[in-house]
Amino acid sequence: MITWYLVYRIIVDDIIFYPPIYQFLIIPGLIAALLVALFIIWFERKAAAFVQMRYGPREIAPRIGGAIQLVADLTRYALQEIIIPETVDVLPYILSPIIMIILALLPLEAVPLTSIRTYFPIPPDYSLLIAVALSTLSPLFVVLMSWASNNKFAVVGGIRESFIITAYELIAVLGFLSAAAMTQSFNIVNIVNIQMSGKWLGLLNPIALLAVFIAVLMSTSGFPFEIPDSESELVAGPYTEYTGLLYGLNMGGGYIKRWVFSILIALVFLGGWAPYKPVPGIITGYFIPSLIVSIKALIVMAIMSFLRSVYGRYRVDQALGIAWEILIPLTLAAFGLGLAEAYFGII
Amino acid sequence: MESSTSGSVVPHLPGMEVSELSKNTYEVYIGPAHPGSGHMRIIVEVDGDIMVRVDPDIGFVHRTMEKLAEGRDWIKNIPLFERMAILDACNITLPYVEAVEKLLGTEPPERARYLRTLLCEINRIASHLYGMGIFGVFLGHSTLYMWAFGDREVFIDLAEQMSGARLTHSYPVFGGVRRDIPDDFPEGARKATRYMRNRLNEYAKIFLNNPNIRSRLENVGVMSKNLATELGIVGPNLRASGVRYDVRLNEPYEAYGELEFEIPVFEEGDSLARAWARVEEIRQSLNIIDKVVDWLEKHPRENFMHEKFWKTAPKLYKDVYTGQIDYAGKYRVKLMPLFASLKVPPGKAFARVEAGRGEMVYYVESDGKDVPYRVRVVSPSFRNVIAFKYLMPGHRLMDLPAIYGSFDYFPPEWDR
Amino acid sequence: MPAKVALKRNPKKNPLGRVFVGNIGALAIGLKYFLDPNRITLLYPHEYIKLRQGYRGFIVLIQDKCISCSSCARICPARAMKMLSVKVFDKRLKKEMVKKFPVINYNRCIFCGYCVDVCPTEALYHVPYHDLVYMNMQDMILSLEDFQKEPENVSAKEGIPVRYVFDEKRGLVKIKQEEEKKEISQPVEQTKQQESTKQQTNNPEPKSVNKGGVNQ
Repeated sequence: MITWYLVYRIIVDDIIFYPPIYQFLIIPGLIAALLVALFIIWFERKAAAFVQMRYGPREIAPRIGGAIQLVADLTRYALQEIIIPETVDVLPYILSPIIMIILALLPLEAVPLTSIRTYFPIPPDYSLLIAVALSTLSPLFVVLMSWASNNKFAVVGGIRESFIITAYELIAVLGFLSAAAMTQSFNIVNIVNIQMSGKWLGLLNPIALLAVFIAVLMSTSGFPFEIPDSESELVAGPYTEYTGLLYGLNMGGGYIKRWVFSILIALVFLGGWAPYKPVPGIITGYFIPSLIVSIKALIVMAIMSFLRSVYGRYRVDQALGIAWEILIPLTLAAFGLGLAEAYFGII
Repeated sequence: MESSTSGSVVPHLPGMEVSELSKNTYEVYIGPAHPGSGHMRIIVEVDGDIMVRVDPDIGFVHRTMEKLAEGRDWIKNIPLFERMAILDACNITLPYVEAVEKLLGTEPPERARYLRTLLCEINRIASHLYGMGIFGVFLGHSTLYMWAFGDREVFIDLAEQMSGARLTHSYPVFGGVRRDIPDDFPEGARKATRYMRNRLNEYAKIFLNNPNIRSRLENVGVMSKNLATELGIVGPNLRASGVRYDVRLNEPYEAYGELEFEIPVFEEGDSLARAWARVEEIRQSLNIIDKVVDWLEKHPRENFMHEKFWKTAPKLYKDVYTGQIDYAGKYRVKLMPLFASLKVPPGKAFARVEAGRGEMVYYVESDGKDVPYRVRVVSPSFRNVIAFKYLMPGHRLMDLPAIYGSFDYFPPEWDR
Repeated sequence: MPAKVALKRNPKKNPLGRVFVGNIGALAIGLKYFLDPNRITLLYPHEYIKLRQGYRGFIVLIQDKCISCSSCARICPARAMKMLSVKVFDKRLKKEMVKKFPVINYNRCIFCGYCVDVCPTEALYHVPYHDLVYMNMQDMILSLEDFQKEPENVSAKEGIPVRYVFDEKRGLVKIKQEEEKKEISQPVEQTKQQESTKQQTNNPEPKSVNKGGVNQ
C-alpha cells in the first residue's frame, strides 16, 4: 500500500503538478489551450450566428448547441491527407508550424500562477519581462513558413505578418510594461499581490488595457483582423500551401497565441487569481488559482471573439497607421499615467 | 523568328501576348479559382503593395447565350436569358420581351405594366442586397453578408408569391404577364417594405457608418464624372459618380413614367458612394413597391394579357383565371397554344431597361421565322468591368476587394 | 409623374464623433442582436416550408383530360417533355388506337411552368413541393404511369410543416402548422407500416444467418 501511495504521490506531485510540466502541458498549457480553442471557436461561431440571423453549429448535438462540432472538425483536419507541394522547402515547411505552436506556448512557462513559492516554474523575479519576450518568438516562424511555401500569396502574407507583428507586438510589450512602471516590479506575483485589494491595474490604467487588447486582437490575426491571411485577396496568406493537420496547427496557432496573451492580460491587468488567496496544498495552492486565471482569460477571449461579428478588416497601411500614429502614443501615455499613479501613490 | 534566337528578347508566338515586366514588380493572378474573384481572373502587377497594372480577364463562364437564342423559339428564349443573372431575372428578360412586343406590335395592358414594374423592383432590391452581401464578405464583414442574404429572402418570398418561383420567374411574356398577385399579397408587401426600411438604418450603423468599414471605402477607387462617362459605366456605379443617367429617368418604360420616385445621384464617386447609392436605391424601390401595390389594390383585376392573345380564349381559360378549378390555382393566365410556334414579323427592334446593375440592352432581329435571326445582349456588368483596369492602379492590393465589391460585378451576366 | 433626380452626398461626420459614435453604434447593434437573435433559418429536414398553391413544383398529368395536342412538348424550353405513343382504348370511338401523351424528363426540366400554362384543357398541374431525390438519373425520366401520380412528398415524412409570414419587426417569421400535421401524419403511419411489413418479410433470412454464425 505504502509503495502504491508513494507512486501516486510521485505521479501527482512530481509529474503532473511539477510546475514546468503542469503549466506547459495541462493548465494553462497544451491541454487547456486545446480545450479553450475548441470552446472559443464554438463560441465564436455561435455568437456570430446569434448576430447573423442563424443558428450556428447545431445539428451534431442539438441539445448542447452543437458544442462537439469542433471535435468533428478537428478529426477531419487530423485525418486529411497532407499534400506537400514539390516547390516548397520541405524541412522548414514541415517544422515551422510545429515550432510555432511550441514557441507560442513557451511564455506560459515563465508566468507564475500562484503566490506559493514551491509552485513557481521559474524564479518569478523577472517573469513579466521574460514572458513578454518569449511571446515575440513564434511569429517569426509564420514568416519562415511563408518563405518556405514559395508562393506569391504566401510571401505577400508573410510580409504583412512581419509588418503587423513589428507594430503591434511593440504596443503589447509597452502596454504590459506600463504595469511594471506602476508597480515598480517585473515580478508577476508582486503585481498580482498589489491587485489583491481590488485595485486592478486594468481599472487604474484602462488606456494600457485597451491598447494591449487591440494589440493582441491585431497581432494574433483573428477572423476579421487577419490582415496577413486576408481571404479575399490572399487566399490564406502564409498558410496557402498548407493542408491537413499542418493547416489545422496554423489555424489553432492563432488561437493559442491569443490564449497566451489573454493569460498575461488576466494576470497583469485583471487581478490574476485576485479574490482568492492561495493556501498551501496542491489543489488549493496551485490548481484553483490557475483555474481562476484561466477563466478570466477565457472571458477576455470571448469578448475578442464577439468583435468578429461587428468589425471588418482593416487595410494593412491603415492598421499600421493606427498602430504607429495612434496606439503607440496612447501606450506611451498609458506608461506615463502608470508612472504618475505610482508617483502619487495611488497604487 | 530572329528575335527568338537572341537571348534577351522574348519570343513572339502567334496568339500569345507577351509583355515584359519591370524589375521591381511581379504578377499576382487573382482568380479564376480564388475565394475573392468570382468566375473571372484579375491579373494584377504589383510593385511592393501598390497595384501597377490591373487586367480583368473575363470569359470563364461563357455559355453562348446569343448563339443558343438563334436556334430556339421566341418564347423559349425567356427562360434562357434568365440564366444570365437569375437573381435579377425579371429585369434581365424584360427588355427582350419588350423588343419582341415592338416587333409584334402589341402593347401590354396597364395592369400588366404595373405588375412587371413591381417584380422588377423586387428583383432590384434582391439584387442589390446580394451585391452588398458579397461586398461585406470581401471586406471581412461576415455580419453584413448574412444579414443581406437573410433579408433578401423576404423579397424572394414576395417574388415567389407573385410568380410561383423563387428565382427563375419567367414572369413577363409577350403581351403581358403570367400571373396576378394573390389576394394577401399587398398586406405582406407593405410589412416587408416597412421592415426593410428599418433594416437599412441598421445596415448603415453596422457597416456603412462603422469607422472600420468607412476607412476602407472612403476615397478608395474614386471615379470622376469624366472617367465614368468615357468608360461607359452604367447603373448605380455611374450615378455614384454624379452622372444623372437612368433608363427609368431618360426613357421611362412600363409604369415608371407614371410613378413618382427619386433617383439618388451621389457626387463623390468613391466606393462608399457606390455602396450608399445602392442603399438609397433600395429605399426608393421600397417606395415604388408601396405605390405599385396601392395602385394594384385600387384597380380591378381586369385582363393583364393583351387582347390579341386573350379574346379568343375559351371558357376554361377564364375559369383558371378566376380560380374555378381547384387544382389549378388562381389568377393565372393561360398561354395560347400559338405561343409555342409564334412567328414574329420581320424587323429590327431595340429595348433597354435599368436592371439592378445598370442598363440592360437587347437588340432583336427577326426574319419572319419562328426563331430569332439575331439577338444581341449588352449586359451592365460587361460595361462596368472595364473600370477595374483604370480605377485599381495606384491603390494597394488590399483595395482590390473594396473596389471589386463596390462595383457589384457579376461574371455570369457579362459572360452570357 | 416621372422620376426625378435627388442629389446626395456621403454622410459626413467629424473625426471624433466617427470614432466614438460609429464604434458604439456598431457595437450596440451587434449586442442587440446577440442578446435578442432574429433567426430565420429553416432547420430543413426537421422542418419544411409548406408552400402555397401556385408554387411551380413537380408536374403531374391528368391523362383523361389530355387531348394529345402536344403543345406542352412544343413549348418546353428545355426539351424535357416528350410525346409518347401509347395504345389506348378510346371511349368515344370505341376502338383501340394509338395516341400520344406527354412524359417528362426531370433531368432537363427547369420548372418554368410553360407546359402547365399552355395546356388547353388544364391536364397538367403543379404540386407545391420541389424537394425530391432520385436514386439515379434513369429514375428521373418518368414513365406515363409515374407521370400521372403525384410524387411522394419526402420532406413531409420527416419534418413538420412551417410557413413563413411577413412581419414588420422581424422580416420573416416562422409559424409551425400543428393542425396540418395531423392530416399529414396519417400517410406517414401508413408508409411506416408498409416499411415495417417489408422489414418483417425481409428480416428472417439475415436473422437465421446471424444465428448460424453465433452457433458456429
